[in-house]
Amino acid sequence: MQLFSIVSRHNQWLAVRQATIAGNIANANTPGFRAQDVQPFEMAVAQARLAMAATQAGHLSSGPADAPATELRREAAWETSMSGNNVSLEQELLKAGEVNRAYRLNTSIAKVFHRLIMTSSRI
Amino acid sequence: MYDPLQATMRVGASGLEAQSRRLRVIAENMANAHSTGRTPGSDPYARRVITFESQLDETADANLVRVASVEQPRASFRVEHMPGHPAADANGFVRMPNVDLVVEAADMREANRSYEANLQAIRQAREMITMTLDLLRTT
Repeated sequence: MQLFSIVSRHNQWLAVRQATIAGNIANANTPGFRAQDVQPFEMAVAQARLAMAATQAGHLSSGPADAPATELRREAAWETSMSGNNVSLEQELLKAGEVNRAYRLNTSIAKVFHRLIMTSSRI
Repeated sequence: MYDPLQATMRVGASGLEAQSRRLRVIAENMANAHSTGRTPGSDPYARRVITFESQLDETADANLVRVASVEQPRASFRVEHMPGHPAADANGFVRMPNVDLVVEAADMREANRSYEANLQAIRQAREMITMTLDLLRTT
């Protein structure tokens, strides 16, 4: 059952990423706009699991354990135009394709596991 | 929380709208590439330029785009010698619009390309929604 929760969380993350990519594409001609991307999913998972306890005042905090996976970060862009805009349409479409592929993989996995469970419960 | 895939659709739609407004301004410029004034010494059609700005949508937490303004940049008009023209001045010179068809055509290609990219983002979001819905389908 853990699998379904991971799949749905990853899909949610991918949906947020797709929204960010759409924002970049829509603003591809906006002067001064900087391309954005979400934090990688692996990082979001790691942050959720590795919450270090700060028992003394000198300890560094590792950030909130339930950090949202939707935190935006500046993207290393391929090009910057004269207007200060660094959105590259090719790069964004490449990322969108990546998101689409991962989403398809996740839904397929969920579907297969669901079928597995249904098969076992039919006996 | 707002559904990110719905937000994608909204952002894409705002991009489509902005790019189609841009295309409209380009079409206006091209159509008026030879629109002179009617009286002697009057100003001809002045080229228009559209500018965009990013707008944060509070409910969807997404960067929409919208048209900031349609401006008329200060550029000098071409002058042609046509003595018989109604807009010709005392020396027979007519001021022509500052529209360069090559520049407009290049701008149109770019608007077209941006429009397609927005359309692609919407298409992919729709595909992702369909994939999710397909989970319900019994195979």
